[in-house]
Amino acid sequence: MNSTPTLLNRTLIAVLGLVLLVVGGLLMLLAAVPAVASWWHSWSAGVWAGANDAFNATRFPGRPESWLWILVALALLVLIGLMVAWVAQQGKGRSDVLAVGYDPGEVPGDVRIGGGVAEQALKHALAHRPDLAGATVTTYDVKGTPAVKVRLLPRQGVAPHLLAEEVFALVAALELVVGKNIPVLVHIGAGARTRFSRAERVR
Amino acid sequence: MSRHIESQSPDMDRILHRETRSSRAVVATAAAALVIGLASYGLLEAAVHAIGQPAWLIEPQVAAERLVALPAGISPLLLGAIGAVLAMIGLVFFLNGILPGHRARHLLGRRSAAGPAVVVDDEVIASALARRARLAANVTPEQVMVVVSQRQVVVNVRPTSGVPVDEDAVLTAVHSELDAMSLEPDPAVHVNVAPSGVIGA
Repeated sequence: MNSTPTLLNRTLIAVLGLVLLVVGGLLMLLAAVPAVASWWHSWSAGVWAGANDAFNATRFPGRPESWLWILVALALLVLIGLMVAWVAQQGKGRSDVLAVGYDPGEVPGDVRIGGGVAEQALKHALAHRPDLAGATVTTYDVKGTPAVKVRLLPRQGVAPHLLAEEVFALVAALELVVGKNIPVLVHIGAGARTRFSRAERVR
Repeated sequence: MSRHIESQSPDMDRILHRETRSSRAVVATAAAALVIGLASYGLLEAAVHAIGQPAWLIEPQVAAERLVALPAGISPLLLGAIGAVLAMIGLVFFLNGILPGHRARHLLGRRSAAGPAVVVDDEVIASALARRARLAANVTPEQVMVVVSQRQVVVNVRPTSGVPVDEDAVLTAVHSELDAMSLEPDPAVHVNVAPSGVIGA
């Protein structure tokens, strides 16, 4: 429900995996197969000679260092920056606005309802139920529209469809109060808290 | 409930698709950390070299020459082991990126097209079905085990010694519970009654 870039994640992970796989495979072949070793010698010597020529051609006038090293350092800096940006994209998408509306009345200004309204109201309504071990409510921003995720941790043996029905009623009441249709996702999950707590016996 | 699903349904489909697939956030962060680590070492050596200082760990020149001469200069066993470890890490990343990564979750059927969407962990479904099967078979909770997977529900019942379990009754009970849930994808039900009973339950 958050805006983690799933396709980008898959592609980059697969590419990195493929690169590591190829390098690892090459090392194993080098260790095991002599024919690969002789191919590697001829190929890598050529590449190394080319790189050497490049470094020799790009020396600072009058000094032994090549300015290619500065380019390499800059490229690595850019790579690190891209990686940091990639990590920063993970798990983003929380928002704290539930509804925004322009009020065409005589009073100037518009109306914003914070996500805390839905979170507090639903959480409070679900807090003292005996069949729940826990409940969390979060507001997300899904491509510009606010959406609410309700995560419920029922005790063992609770029928999920009956629980969902009762949450639907709460959501309908919330929508009546807010005056807007809100996309809602209910996730009925299990965790360590439900696994080791007592089962609900009476319902 | 007066909701208009038309306005939100593409959004909801996307959300549900994402909720039933596993997120690669952790693997992605690990991959990024790996690349950042390698790149910052490279950056250090490149910067040190650019300003004409001696290298920190290894001179790039020397490193490259060793790489070119590779099968020589290191024991083949160590080289093979390093290669195997790298390939293994690569395989983990690669499969993480390629495989569909279904989560152990089902969608709950929507009674009206307009209600909120519901995603349920398979574990919750299993414990609800186990409770229903246990009541139908009249045994204790420890004698029922339910396994829920994407397309199949397996109910294992161990009867109490001397008290026969009606397999059809258990099957009917589990079926009616599943029909009430109307899961998506809809799993098939198998009931196994163990040939040996439990004493003193």
